[in-house]
Amino acid sequence: MTAGAAGATGDRVDVLVIGAGAAGAAVAWRLAAAGIGVVCLEQGDWVEPRAYPHWRDDWELHRHTDWSAEPNVRRLAQDYPVNDAASPIAPLMFNAVGGSTIHWSAHFPRFRPSDFRVKSLDGVADDWPIDYATLEPYFDLNDRMMGVAGMTGDPAYPPKSARQTPPIPLDTLGVTMARGFDRLGWHWWPSDSAILTRDYDGRRACVNCGPCDLGCPIGAKASTDVTYWPKAIAVGARLVTRARVREITLGGDGLADGAVYYDRDGRVHAQKARAVVLAGNGIGTPRLLLNSRSARFPDGLANRNGQVGRHLMFHPYAIVRGVFDRPLGGYRGPIGCSLISQEFYETDLSRGFVRGYSFQVARGLTPIASASGGSIGDRVAWGRGHRRAYDERFDRTITVAVIGEDLPEAHNRVDLDPALADGHGIPAPRVTYALSENSRRMLDHGIARAREALAAAGARAIDVNPLLRAGGWHLMGTARMGRDPATSVIDPEGRCHDVPNLYVVDGSAMVTCAGVNPTSTIQAVALYIADGMIRRRA
Amino acid sequence: MSAGSLAARRDLLALVLDALVPASDGFPAGSVALDHVLAMAAASADLEAALTRGLEAIDETGSGFARLDADDRERALARVEETHAALFDALVRHAYDGYYSHPEVLGRLGLEPGPVQPRGHRIETADLPDLGRVIARGPIYRPA
Repeated sequence: MTAGAAGATGDRVDVLVIGAGAAGAAVAWRLAAAGIGVVCLEQGDWVEPRAYPHWRDDWELHRHTDWSAEPNVRRLAQDYPVNDAASPIAPLMFNAVGGSTIHWSAHFPRFRPSDFRVKSLDGVADDWPIDYATLEPYFDLNDRMMGVAGMTGDPAYPPKSARQTPPIPLDTLGVTMARGFDRLGWHWWPSDSAILTRDYDGRRACVNCGPCDLGCPIGAKASTDVTYWPKAIAVGARLVTRARVREITLGGDGLADGAVYYDRDGRVHAQKARAVVLAGNGIGTPRLLLNSRSARFPDGLANRNGQVGRHLMFHPYAIVRGVFDRPLGGYRGPIGCSLISQEFYETDLSRGFVRGYSFQVARGLTPIASASGGSIGDRVAWGRGHRRAYDERFDRTITVAVIGEDLPEAHNRVDLDPALADGHGIPAPRVTYALSENSRRMLDHGIARAREALAAAGARAIDVNPLLRAGGWHLMGTARMGRDPATSVIDPEGRCHDVPNLYVVDGSAMVTCAGVNPTSTIQAVALYIADGMIRRRA
Repeated sequence: MSAGSLAARRDLLALVLDALVPASDGFPAGSVALDHVLAMAAASADLEAALTRGLEAIDETGSGFARLDADDRERALARVEETHAALFDALVRHAYDGYYSHPEVLGRLGLEPGPVQPRGHRIETADLPDLGRVIARGPIYRPA
């Protein structure tokens, strides 16, 4: 299926965007709005609103089957397998128009100013070649496009522009946790969430149904199929779905000149372009580069320095769950968002680690998750003790996620699996990742502090998952930005050092990953790179 | 194990489900999940074979599961949980999935049964707790 302006895919287009998720959608809209011809190839489909499980009695059952965030569980035709046997964290992603914003919880904090200067401030990793001030107008633009619920005045950030709608309701659960933070004198603030609490920009307000992680069938949550894409198509961008790119092709001049892809019927096509933008996420993008081999680039495109696929960062998550003596309403409201605490965000070496983390306070457990144990995995006992054990848990829990800043390490990487392949025979990505000692200490500190916060909020029991395996939501760093062609893949304008008309705009571009969810920053960087493309064209 | 063999033992499966989640406090017994478990097994030959082996193990532990009293049924299941951990895990998982998606159970939990859309959930709007203390600390981010 295609949408947008006419033109055969065989025509040479100004810009070919690969991937229609968070970053690809933003770039496609920005470029097309500037009059640049854009074709986007997306291996997934549009998700029709009626296709979401929320309309069915058995909606929760789909979380671990066809609507799982894990491609290795979901195994849809448009997915590709990921060999994650050598990683304690399983990568999560979704292949559709909207990409992983279909599944995300839409927690929408920005990176902070110090996140772009970690080498200068803390002597670790690398500084970004761009800074918060450079990105600030793009954060604001992206907020307007996505629609953000929240409130200004958070002392954890420089002043922000007005949020588009009031914050997500804290409900009993959020208020309980806020009081816990207050008793300790710690920072907390209602989350910036890309979920509308009022009608905005032609989209409906959230009705607090709960499972944002299964998608949003009413478009209140900002997945890019309902934010950027309608606008991008309206200004001429052309979107081709079920188009799986096999490799990026090179012209005789050494520049990228397009891509070869399979359509939904398995036929091979070539899309020619004057520039190519990769937006396939922190695993899909290095996979595609590494699979684009030629005499000029025998080890993969733009990989002369061997850096493609290296420096993979997840956000390692620890989960700390408090059990309370009273109902908290945790089954209602956006599942991933109520409030955030950044009390332990900036570096304090007396804690035993460098950099820091956030607390993301999510909602409680849904009925089946209460039985299975959710992110902790401690299933309620069967037998005659079951009823009491279940009733002591259901609607009486608060989950605090510790989201730590992972540091880029060259040995954490994505490469091509020698045996595993997708449905078209394209080699699957293989992930090799080890949690660093710094990250382990950081998570342990966060677990101890989360215990304190939950106890201060009144929890009578606390359970912990020290490292969430099914927590690889954020895929970053595998084609990172930098000034030095020896240690980075793309330059400060997003261009590959080796191939200057080939751009990377997704999480792969991240130099560091901060201690917050990355999508707001990924999209801001993508818009910044798009404006550079527009400027140079003009 | 031939396809459909689990369905042939549905009476035993129902008894096992009732032992996993006994009726209590107005909640129905676990056999309300029977149709779900059978449907899952019908969709997966591997699961059907696993659950059938599990039932065979349960029935082999004594003189017939159906004739045991509640205490002995729990003891029989506990033995199988030890000796056939993976099979038992699958059985409990699908039992809980079916049970806690059943309208009667959801209603007893105080939830409105059925899809979460379009109805959503009502959240009473309440004033935010006072953020004055948080704001009074001033900026906590590092300038850079």
